[in-house]
Amino acid sequence: MTEADRDYEHYEAVVVGAGPGGAAAAARLADAGVETVVLERGVEAGSKNVSGGLIYAEESAPYTIDELFDGFRENAAERPITEYHLHNVSGNKVKSFDISRLHHHDTEWSDAVLRRPMDSWLAEQVHEKTKEVGGGLLTDIRVNGLLRENGEIIGVTCDEIDPITADIVIAADGVNSELARDAGLMDWDDPEEWFQGVKAVVDVPPEAINERFGVGADEGAAHLFSGDLFEGVRGGGFVYTNEDSLSVGTVFHLDSLAAERAEPHELLDALLTHPFLAEWFGDEYSEREYAAKLVPDSKKVAHGSPHEDRLVLVGDAAGQMQAQGPIIKGMNHAVTAGALAAEAFVEAKNAGDPDAAGENYERKLRESGTMRKLRPRRYKAASAVGENGVATAISDAVLKSPLGSLGVKALERVGALDRLYSSPFMAMMVPDTRTPYVTLPSVIAEELGDPVDGESAVEPPDLADRIGGLAYDTDIGNPHIELLDNSYEASGVAVTACPVSARDFGGGCYREETVKTNGSTEQVVSLDTQPCVECGTCAVIADTDWEHPSGGKGVEFRSG
Amino acid sequence: MTLDPNGYTIQELGPAIKDVEDLEALRSILEAEKDGENRKGAIALIESRIEKFEDDDDAPEELDPTEMSPADIGNAVKSIDEIDTLETMLEREEAGEDRGSVKRLISQRLDSLRGSDEDDDAEVVVEPPEEKHPHLDHPTADKQHVRALEDGTYRDMWVYCETQQGELIDCSREMLGKARELMDEYAADYGDSERVVAILIGDDVERLAEECISYGADVVVYHEDDRLKRFRHKPYTEVFCDMARGAGHPYGREDRPEEEWRDYDEPRYILFPATNNGRDLSAQVQAELDSGLASDCSDLFIENVVISNPVKVGTAGDKKEFERVLHMKRPDFSGFEYSTILCLDNPNREFHPQGASVIPGTFEVPEPDLEREGEIVDHEFEPDEEWFRVEVTEYDVIEGGVDLTGHGVVVALGRGIGDDPTRGIELGLDLVDAFDDAELGISRGIVTGSYNFDGHVEQYTGEDRQIGETGQIVEPDLYIAAGISGAIQHKVGCDESGTIVAINTDPDADIRDFSDYFIEGDLFEVLPRLIDALESGELDTAALASGGATDD
Ligand SMILES: Cc1cc2nc3c(=O)[nH]c(=O)nc-3n(C[C@H](O)[C@H](O)[C@H](O)COP(=O)(O)OP(=O)(O)OC[C@H]3O[C@@H](n4cnc5c(N)ncnc54)[C@H](O)[C@@H]3O)c2cc1C
Ligand SMILES: Cc1cc2nc3c(=O)[nH]c(=O)nc-3n(C[C@H](O)[C@H](O)[C@H](O)COP(=O)(O)OP(=O)(O)OC[C@H]3O[C@@H](n4cnc5c(N)ncnc54)[C@H](O)[C@@H]3O)c2cc1C
Ligand code: SF4
Repeated sequence: MTEADRDYEHYEAVVVGAGPGGAAAAARLADAGVETVVLERGVEAGSKNVSGGLIYAEESAPYTIDELFDGFRENAAERPITEYHLHNVSGNKVKSFDISRLHHHDTEWSDAVLRRPMDSWLAEQVHEKTKEVGGGLLTDIRVNGLLRENGEIIGVTCDEIDPITADIVIAADGVNSELARDAGLMDWDDPEEWFQGVKAVVDVPPEAINERFGVGADEGAAHLFSGDLFEGVRGGGFVYTNEDSLSVGTVFHLDSLAAERAEPHELLDALLTHPFLAEWFGDEYSEREYAAKLVPDSKKVAHGSPHEDRLVLVGDAAGQMQAQGPIIKGMNHAVTAGALAAEAFVEAKNAGDPDAAGENYERKLRESGTMRKLRPRRYKAASAVGENGVATAISDAVLKSPLGSLGVKALERVGALDRLYSSPFMAMMVPDTRTPYVTLPSVIAEELGDPVDGESAVEPPDLADRIGGLAYDTDIGNPHIELLDNSYEASGVAVTACPVSARDFGGGCYREETVKTNGSTEQVVSLDTQPCVECGTCAVIADTDWEHPSGGKGVEFRSG
Repeated sequence: MTLDPNGYTIQELGPAIKDVEDLEALRSILEAEKDGENRKGAIALIESRIEKFEDDDDAPEELDPTEMSPADIGNAVKSIDEIDTLETMLEREEAGEDRGSVKRLISQRLDSLRGSDEDDDAEVVVEPPEEKHPHLDHPTADKQHVRALEDGTYRDMWVYCETQQGELIDCSREMLGKARELMDEYAADYGDSERVVAILIGDDVERLAEECISYGADVVVYHEDDRLKRFRHKPYTEVFCDMARGAGHPYGREDRPEEEWRDYDEPRYILFPATNNGRDLSAQVQAELDSGLASDCSDLFIENVVISNPVKVGTAGDKKEFERVLHMKRPDFSGFEYSTILCLDNPNREFHPQGASVIPGTFEVPEPDLEREGEIVDHEFEPDEEWFRVEVTEYDVIEGGVDLTGHGVVVALGRGIGDDPTRGIELGLDLVDAFDDAELGISRGIVTGSYNFDGHVEQYTGEDRQIGETGQIVEPDLYIAAGISGAIQHKVGCDESGTIVAINTDPDADIRDFSDYFIEGDLFEVLPRLIDALESGELDTAALASGGATDD
């Protein structure tokens, strides 16, 4: 025990964040009798969280969520996903592939989830478990930094309560991890390392889902979209079936989104209003919630050694979010990492050397094969060619040429495309270029697709209504984001890239303004954090001092 | 070995060894811990368990009380069950030091054994803390007047009504409302109607008495003194305690007259606001009255309660019903759970008044009942000059901001002023001046804009003038919104206004949906004409119309 340990409240373990990563870590710790306190900034666990989301239980993973939490699938999940399709879109032409094989590869099961109900259920279990060992789960608490003594991390500091010291600090605080940043393990500098996910939850009655998707009451479907729907921005879309709603969303490379000055809500609308989706929504489109969040790209940022002193990072905080081609796997890896970190600590403690927890954890990530999934070697080889601009341009040109199209047709004839799309290896090595995201799918759709007739009657709400539909507890006078440089050059891209801002829209977070000073005019941006959905985008692409709001403040998602 | 402590967390260890009574076993557990994980907490835990039994072990058959302190004797006699032994002890003490407290301890033990031959109920030995813990400091041992009453009478629920800037704070109103509710139920439950007594202390507070009554007080006791304009710890406490202690109170002032409105020694319950001043006052007042305080409460109710804690009931194993107990709920320190605090009398020490401080906003501000009647009592008392030794030389009132409510007209500006923001504000101010009773408000869009305002209008562009969900809510007869799009969060701040006139270049702006008159036009053109028209005394509707007015 250090001096500070005696001065402050001390727990054996403190877990920051009650998403899947934090919940898994805390449950595993409590099961081993470790006195654990969990700190969550939301009014309730899940109120800050967004995912697509399909949670996977991988056959090869050392931990799955239902192993750690009895009754998870019955109590916290929506529908099991029983079929999986990929649609390539070009204009109104769509070419569909059944990629259930890819989906089922290494999959024990996979369920659609909504994060508010899921995380809050998990949190209840976690509170019960941790209470028994002298801890508990506290909501409305934002951790604002690491507590250090003689330069060593020994605990955390919070907005609402006194600092807490611990033998292990598990940062499961998600994609914009303030703790990872404080420790110098992660930064928010490079847009190429992130995706931005935007999503709408749309009401559809359960019977209508069964009928329109051709699934039983205990079945569900997943549909993915790529092609020219999205103004050339690299990324894709998804539709997942919940109990009585659909999760419809888009996930884009942030650098591409920024470069194209694309408006995320418009890209989402392009998907929502495509005639192919029209019948799924029925006559009346009713949007329950609009939400957004950054997603790390593990191929680039998963930290090989995510620990420092007593701190370990798990889940999105450590960049452990795997985009396996079209399939997004973040929650399952967060669960695995959380449980491994807990296991690492328990072992280190029993061996009388709790400080070895970090090293143990790193080794476990490697030996369990988790690290290999997150940072596949194949990707490195493929990207050497694929991310090279010239190579992309050439392959795009070839694909678009009559010859290329012919090639696509030839491949299709021998069933090669189906095989290609269902190959997990192909999915792992897709380079981040336009080719696989935009060009190839559009060519495939153009050449092989069937036209979809009719117009969509869907009229998604505008941004003002979407913001109006969200619940906020604004921390008036305490904006959590500070604009350091309000010049258009430094921060202007946030006007388009922020999912709740847009050009010519005064009601968003970021707005363009023209300021006249001494006869000269200047383009600037201004920021109002009230409509902020805390996605993290402007932490990366604008010049800001970015923090999360204090405990319980800010946006509150009901579905997530 | 019975048990390996290293397999347990510290939390688990306590329960695990709680049934181990064998000293040898405990000692071997201790050794195992020291050889194993060697955790300080675990060691302390096991050692304390060992000590417990060592005490028992050592309990000497023949105690010589003259060599022991009263505290040791108190502890020792608890485990002596033989009447003979105790009688010998008593004799020795009488022959030796003959200390009253010691004899009492031994006799009490004897009484309890004699009185309960069949069951072995142990009478709880109550010792003054100084004797029980002789090795501790007892700084309050010689405090003079601060003692609980013996057989006091307690009635009514008192509410300390804090004021700020000469007005009741909302929490005072909230507490009065809650007190009213509690005492109405009290009357129904116990058949006694006791009163809600509001306490006002300050320089000019009598005028608030009626308001206290309208929120539920039956009696208002107030004390006015120019020197009490600001809250000050010492004199406020003294005044409050003087109010609390009725005539004939053993620690009250001698010249305290009988008062017609009361017939009790001290209040039964007291509520304080858990504000800075309220917390300060509550702690000292409750200490002066030698009772307890549940601070920062978030719920209150009155109920009977059955308790078996021996400290409270006198005899281990007994149960006792306490009546009319104020249950004070508060979040416990870490916020995991709520605790309910009860302030119960001990067999020989009274814990009254039962006091709580209440978190502001916990209860609703009740609707005032202007018809309610009550008694107003001027508390006559001359505070001691000594109590004012601390002098307040300077203080600041933190900016209260601008109040946009209660005006006939509100002119509100939005981001439509963007082309020339300073000019926009100037026009808004001119329009305000053209009315008799108007104020200037703005949308959030202006508050958070990057506009470069000139110094003289800058003060009008801050959060304190924002109208809407996170700003002020106004209901003037006339609301003029220029260059405001009418977002839902803005709308909720103004749509109860009598007439809403919107000026906007965009005929599709949302504000059109909830405005009575919509003028499609550039505010830089429309506002000057409106101002002219008002100043010249003729609101030229034709001129407005030519600016594109539509009346819908
Ligand atoms: C649109 C979209 C679609 C996605 N689709 C999928 C999918 O289909 N399948 C999948 O597996 N993954 C998907 N993901 C990714 C997945 O959501 C994340 O990888 C996963 O949530 C990471 O879990 P976590 O526990 O690391 O962090 P989070 O779930 O983000 O949890 C972090 C927690 O920490 C709390 N917190 C943060 N900072 C603090 C602080 N300072 N103090 C206290 N508490 C704090 C937060 O409130 C939150 O509860 C998707 C993401 C998005 C945005
Ligand atoms: C949680 C939350 C709380 C909020 N709370 C509040 C609140 O309390 N109060 C509040 O006001 N907002 C609030 N907002 C913000 C609100 O959503 C809007 O963003 C804001 O009201 C927009 O301000 P505006 O109408 O001035 O700007 P804009 O929406 O940009 O509208 C400007 C309008 O001016 C018009 N215009 C442009 N030029 C001219 C011209 N020359 N002449 C006339 N018209 C012109 C345009 O057509 C447009 O309609 C809140 C938002 C959130 C998310
Ligand atoms: S202000 Fe920044 S963090 Fe908030 S929603 Fe916009 S981009 Fe996301």
